[in-house]
Amino acid sequence: MLEFLIPNNIVCHAVEAMLFASIACSILGVIITQLKISSIGFTMAHAAFAGAACGMFFGFDPRISAVAVSIMIALLIGPLTDLAKMPEDTVLGVLFGMLMAVAVFFIAYMQYVGKGFNANSLLFGDVISLYREEIYALVIISFMAVIFVVLLYKEISAIIFNKKVAEAAGIKVKPIYYALLFMIAFTVALSLNIVGGLLLYVWLITPAAIAYQFMFDVKGLFIMAPVVAAVISVSSAVVGLEYSLPVGPLTAVVFSVVFIIAVIFSRKRKVTSRKH
Amino acid sequence: MKDVNSPIISLKDIYTAYEGAEFPVISGLSLEIGHGEFVIVGGPNGAGKTTLLESVNGMLPLTHGTAHVCGMDVSRNGDAVRKKTGYVIQSFAFDPFTPFTVENVVMMGRYGILGCFKKPGEEDYRATEESIKLLGLEDISEKPIGTLSGGQQQKVLIAQNLAKKPDLLLLDEPFSNLDLCTREFVSDILKDISSKGCTVLMVSHAFDALPDKDVRIVVMDRGCINFDEFCHATEVKDIVRKMSAVA
Ligand SMILES: Nc1ncnc2c1ncn2[C@@H]1O[C@H](COP(=O)(O)OP(=O)(O)O)[C@@H](O)[C@H]1O
Ligand SMILES: [Mg+2]
Repeated sequence: MLEFLIPNNIVCHAVEAMLFASIACSILGVIITQLKISSIGFTMAHAAFAGAACGMFFGFDPRISAVAVSIMIALLIGPLTDLAKMPEDTVLGVLFGMLMAVAVFFIAYMQYVGKGFNANSLLFGDVISLYREEIYALVIISFMAVIFVVLLYKEISAIIFNKKVAEAAGIKVKPIYYALLFMIAFTVALSLNIVGGLLLYVWLITPAAIAYQFMFDVKGLFIMAPVVAAVISVSSAVVGLEYSLPVGPLTAVVFSVVFIIAVIFSRKRKVTSRKH
Repeated sequence: MKDVNSPIISLKDIYTAYEGAEFPVISGLSLEIGHGEFVIVGGPNGAGKTTLLESVNGMLPLTHGTAHVCGMDVSRNGDAVRKKTGYVIQSFAFDPFTPFTVENVVMMGRYGILGCFKKPGEEDYRATEESIKLLGLEDISEKPIGTLSGGQQQKVLIAQNLAKKPDLLLLDEPFSNLDLCTREFVSDILKDISSKGCTVLMVSHAFDALPDKDVRIVVMDRGCINFDEFCHATEVKDIVRKMSAVA
């Protein structure tokens, strides 16, 4: 898509992947950080991991079983937090443990019977050897995420503010909240084997955290976070590929540095020195 | 058209229980409230006043009995009831940096009526602006709600519910965070919307600022109503004190 800007095919694909994945994740990241459910990131990463291990064991395509298990878990999170009458974070923690156990069980068993398993791409992704189809998948995911947030902006912002107030206003909180959790989990799961758990986690949390230092309203967060994410990701990718540095870790480091700078210059920490 | 002669709230032998609790909090309660009435609910802590309000607007499910509010069955059309009913919640604690300005929060009152996928229009902005003015919040309308005092936050939540232009307004101890002057100010606003035809059902223990018309007093204890009469505003304090003491 961006070939007209970047003639080199590998660089072009990597930049496209970074751009679209960072936009989708950072927009959903605003919701995640405001709802204080950042553990949804590592729970879904392990859902994909467990799914892939299951698939390997039973002889399915591990990519498909990873997505299938992730979707199942994504559908489960909302109803389960209601049924268990516990904070989302606790439920996500329980699921995380369970999925990790399932994954480790199958991997250990496969090693025991002599089948190998390589989880590297799930953990670290591989931005420089992507297929065209994977880029298209990322584009579709990020458009879905953006459209979802734009269409349900009112409802989502009310739920972020206070679920009880949202419900009293006449908003159908439950279905929208479930859909929201599903959308987040789904995006995380599908982006995972493309960009890896590390970058994904950085994108989910850090852009929103940076934007939060400067913005006093949600609309500002929803605009600033993806802009910050896109600028940092694309420029890190270009620099990384130019100088043959590992793109994922480099991007993650740049994000963290920007976050620290943002905290130092935060508008929210400024104390007025005025006397009148 | 709504039928003005039929009650706006009609509860018939309702029971409401919280999940996991052994006994229902509201048990066998019946209550009818007509259009335009001003009702004050009193009673000791834990009597079930908050639970009653949330049964009326359908936020808590009934285990037995039927509730009709604004001409609709609450169990079946809870969302529709809540679009016509304001509810000012009792306890709230907003994060100091929660990313919502006063104006955002007041506008939120319109979100339910607007429905999914629609953006706020001219009418919504006008309603928001009017209720911000009505509660005197113009100067702080751009401030993040979390940085305001408890009383200011309470006024914002009242403004939010007035922006909805509800047929019925439920308030749960709305005066608890307000200073004396503000109580009178808010009380005047309630009196005003009541005179314009909005039914008010308010849980309160602050009786020094009531509309000076006949109000209906309902006193609850252990999930039942044990006093229900119309009286003049000046008598309210004594009646509620007496009834709560007997309980
Ligand atoms: N979420 C809840 N779960 C279980 N029990 C509750 C819950 N909220 C209130 N209760 C119980 O219901 C009773 C009535 O509570 P409430 O309606 O809040 O009383 P009031 O508003 O009159 O002070 C109390 O005994 C309280 O313990
Ligand atoms: Mg109460």
